[in-house]
Amino acid sequence: MTLHFENLSVDPNELPGLSDFEFKSVDPRYLKVSLISSTLFFLVLIIGATAAIYFSEFEDKFLVYLISSSSIAILLGLNVLVIILGFKKKKYALRQRDVIYTKGLIWSTRTTVPFIRIQHAELKQGPIERLFKLNSLKIFTAGGQSSDLVIPGLPEETALNIKDFILKKTAEDGKSES
Amino acid sequence: MESLKVDFRSPQRQSRVAIGIILIKFIKGTIKGFWPILLSLFIGRKAGSTFQDVIGYVVLGFAAFNLIGSVLTYFRFYFHLENNSIVIDKGILRRTKTNIPFERIQTINFTQNILHQLFNVVGVEIDTAGAGKAEISIDALNKEDANALREYILAEKEQLTANNAPASDLVEPAEKEAPQLLLQLKPLDLLKVGISQNHLRSMGIIFVFVFSTINEITDNISDIVADQFTQYEGYLINNTLFVFLTSAILVIIIAFLFSLISTLLQYFDLKLWISKKGLKLVRGLLNREEISINTHKVQLVSWSTNPIRRLFKIYTLQIAQASSSEVNVQKSKINVPGSYKHQIAQVIKMVFPTEYSGNEQKHALSKLVKQRIILFLGVIPSLLGLSTWYWSGIECLYFLIALPFSMTIAYLYYKKNSYEINDELIRSNSGIVGTEHLLTQIHKVQVVKISQSIYQRRKKLASLKLYTAAGEMSIPFITISEALAIENFVLYRVETDKREWM
Repeated sequence: MTLHFENLSVDPNELPGLSDFEFKSVDPRYLKVSLISSTLFFLVLIIGATAAIYFSEFEDKFLVYLISSSSIAILLGLNVLVIILGFKKKKYALRQRDVIYTKGLIWSTRTTVPFIRIQHAELKQGPIERLFKLNSLKIFTAGGQSSDLVIPGLPEETALNIKDFILKKTAEDGKSES
Repeated sequence: MESLKVDFRSPQRQSRVAIGIILIKFIKGTIKGFWPILLSLFIGRKAGSTFQDVIGYVVLGFAAFNLIGSVLTYFRFYFHLENNSIVIDKGILRRTKTNIPFERIQTINFTQNILHQLFNVVGVEIDTAGAGKAEISIDALNKEDANALREYILAEKEQLTANNAPASDLVEPAEKEAPQLLLQLKPLDLLKVGISQNHLRSMGIIFVFVFSTINEITDNISDIVADQFTQYEGYLINNTLFVFLTSAILVIIIAFLFSLISTLLQYFDLKLWISKKGLKLVRGLLNREEISINTHKVQLVSWSTNPIRRLFKIYTLQIAQASSSEVNVQKSKINVPGSYKHQIAQVIKMVFPTEYSGNEQKHALSKLVKQRIILFLGVIPSLLGLSTWYWSGIECLYFLIALPFSMTIAYLYYKKNSYEINDELIRSNSGIVGTEHLLTQIHKVQVVKISQSIYQRRKKLASLKLYTAAGEMSIPFITISEALAIENFVLYRVETDKREWM
């Protein structure tokens, strides 16, 4: 056991650090996917609000329409802004032994999953993503739902390649374990 | 193969008592599902005699449904052992046959509610590894039979895994050492635990329960309350202070009794055994449950205390083991209240390799966290309060109390939050009023997450989160270089450690 830990005095700075590799951005078309789905969401919201006001008993319906639609428009504007600015932050990197994904404009997070801890991985495609032939790669670990990793906006071929690469790595690293 | 008193190889039914136990389960289930309907029928009873007949039929139908359902469930439930696996054949309308190989069985737990205890039977729960598939349970089995069954299955399982595993892993299956009783809650300890419960939480639970119940029955709580109060209006005005004091005392007493009783019910005669292979816990008064924990499945050990408990020098120990499905997350965390420090040390020694535990240096968080807390809990609320000067006049100065309050919190938070790390283990200390310590082995980490707010980015700070298969550990407000160093080290340890994490 003690033998196993002899190399622990390794300076953490000598381990492969962030500077040693490059982050790849997700596909630019994914920006369109996000914008379209956000717009659709707000469209549904506006329709819902309009219907609610139409069947309600407000005195001055025009004013209510104005207030609600303008506040929804402001929210939509903010949302679009965050999506566009935050898009640049969505990046991923594959290292020899783990996969990293970063995101977030206001709250930036960086999630790292070692290959040997991956339970399984799957590709997902929503209806809008399908139009643009994009995929999301979802990586499951035993760490629970809040720690599952999703890399969106991958072109079909890249997604498949990454998934195969990860699963192969997982199997390899897992094999050396036992 | 040892011989069993009962031959489990041919299909078996459960103990006859199971009918009663299933019946109660059934009734509970249907009442849970339909109780608003039943209740409204009973309330609407005064409406007329024809209605009364309807109620009679409904109740009759309800009873018949439950009775027939439980009897059929009983007679359509068989289990037996074949080819090193346990087979359960059940279901009335949709028959299912579940086959679980011994290797996949993780633990076999017993539960006993009051009915079980009366008839000396146990409910058996078989916990399997593997995601998704729900565990299987047998509602009632003779206690001796259940014990024999469990020992047989576990012994067979051990033999099977021993045959597959390389010789080096084969150290201890032969020796069968007697488990050692580590901890037993005596009535006095139980009282201490009860007294030091979080009574505010009990109060909250009672309030939520009362209000949600009233809400289910009638829609207008406020009307009821107003109705009640207008009756005593004159009295109330004359005796406001008295009424307030008595009701406050009453609420406190009720909350206190509630937590005392719930402690008694849950933790009565708690016993924790410790052996090389794992821990065994038995607890409860009306519902007596027995839980086994495998050492290698333990992911996190935490111990916490609050000011009252600190007076008694007791801690609440929590042992979290990897759970197979999201559903029984709660079940995989085992609480042992009323543990003393040396008992916790013994559990840790058993669960995690001892050669690495030592007194590590406590690393504090960034001092800037104090400023942030004072800003958000002190300065901003006070300013908001002062801005109401126009409406509330001089009284808005009361809001200034947020300042010393936030300073105290900031001081305590900074003092109590820290982390310790060595080659093998990582430990976080947290808390404001109470204190909580969390300990895990580094190679059991599944995912590492670093997050930064805008402010943290500007000040080169970060928060770190380590996810294990049984919960997460977070270290907030450390410098980004520290966070990156820990991340690197944890990843390095995870990726090079060849030991199983479970």
